[in-house]
Amino acid sequence: MTYKKRKSSIDPVIIVMLGVVFVAIAIVLFTFQPNLTSINFASSSGVMSQLIVAFITGITTGGLSCLAVQGGLLASSLAHQFEQDYLEQIVKSKRKKQSSASRSSSTFPIFLFLVAKVLAYTLLGALLGWLGSFLTLSPMTRAMLMIAIGIFMVGNALRMFNVHPFFRYFSIEPPKFITRYIRRTAKGTDTFTPLFLGALTVFIPCGITQAMMATALGTGSIAMGAALMFAFTLGTSPIFFIVAYLTTELGSRLEKFFMRFIAAVVLILGFVTLDGGLNVLGSPLSFQNLTRNLIPSENISSSQATSPQLIVEGELVLNVQNSGYFPRTLKAPAGKDFTLNLVTDKTYSCARDFVIPALDYYELLSDTGIVKVTIPAQAKGSRLFFTCSMGMYTGQIVFE
Amino acid sequence: MIKKTFRIPDMTCSNCAMKLESLEDMLKGVKEIKASYHRLEMVIEYDESKLTDEQIITAVKRKGYQAVAA
Repeated sequence: MTYKKRKSSIDPVIIVMLGVVFVAIAIVLFTFQPNLTSINFASSSGVMSQLIVAFITGITTGGLSCLAVQGGLLASSLAHQFEQDYLEQIVKSKRKKQSSASRSSSTFPIFLFLVAKVLAYTLLGALLGWLGSFLTLSPMTRAMLMIAIGIFMVGNALRMFNVHPFFRYFSIEPPKFITRYIRRTAKGTDTFTPLFLGALTVFIPCGITQAMMATALGTGSIAMGAALMFAFTLGTSPIFFIVAYLTTELGSRLEKFFMRFIAAVVLILGFVTLDGGLNVLGSPLSFQNLTRNLIPSENISSSQATSPQLIVEGELVLNVQNSGYFPRTLKAPAGKDFTLNLVTDKTYSCARDFVIPALDYYELLSDTGIVKVTIPAQAKGSRLFFTCSMGMYTGQIVFE
Repeated sequence: MIKKTFRIPDMTCSNCAMKLESLEDMLKGVKEIKASYHRLEMVIEYDESKLTDEQIITAVKRKGYQAVAA
């Protein structure tokens, strides 16, 4: 591992302020994203225009959405790097009585993570283009994967907190032949962890990524599938990089507490991932489902709540919007079938990936339109949870 | 050649194991080192005519860890 003396030519506060500006721009772009992505894939005749749309989608909603889902892996990657650096410093200071702090740059592991991510998704795009729908993960499979990853992240955070020796089993030990290979080819640098974790993100795509994967499937071409996923993932990289870099640079000011800071971040993201998995499973034990009735969503978005949910007898309307489902709680008569109208209107977020776990129903809705779902009769007092396929947006139908 | 196990109780991550395995390239007479963070130990196969336990323990110490012959 190489160690560089940190040059203090740029005040970290300036970097943080710049970062805040970048994130603010990203949020503004995120807010107005529907206008940017209103370019229709189908109507774009040229290959280049498809790639540009994929890139713009990545740099706007994709970056933030994927960061919410995959940020944990990046945090784990950085935690691994800084954990090692921190320990090296302790050894150095004991041996040489050095008081000056030196820490390897956060840019390299972030860069490696993102390079691996872009490459992995490009390969995935090529595979999708070739294999068609065979590689599509069902929501249930994805839920189990998210729960497993969430448990891993929480365990890893508890390991960093030194809660109990048992938690060391949550650390990944790369195979001996790989560590030897890495040691001899990239001597002294910890390249494996961010590379490996970056590549792992293909297994936890966010909703927008899934939508892009579906598009890659539809291309039916190895080259186009790969190019599309490359453009999209490249677009998500700047937001990923800026947020991750700022997070770690902020940590340099809190050197003493940095390990615990990273562990706390991993712990929170672990719980978020775990909660998402529980949502996709339709579990009433997820945080969102447990707390839903404490904060009535109807009061939060009154405009949606005032729109009639019952349009004709036996039919209900659920507005599927970029920011989730409205109303978040639907009331339906118990003991009789009804039709649920899923209404999208320039909806590009992962809310389009609609799942009703208890009914084993999954549909990737079109960005604008109405999809009718027949909901079978349910017992009085029962609840039917629905969610996006990543467990980010949720809601429920209460039978009365 | 003999094979010996050392307890390394102060390993804190799998990178520590990788660091200890790098001694393989640094110590003369070593055939192979397998370190495990999960087991908190290091198994070293070496030529005892070229290397002593004390030298191994010192080398491990230089890496920042304490080694105890198991």
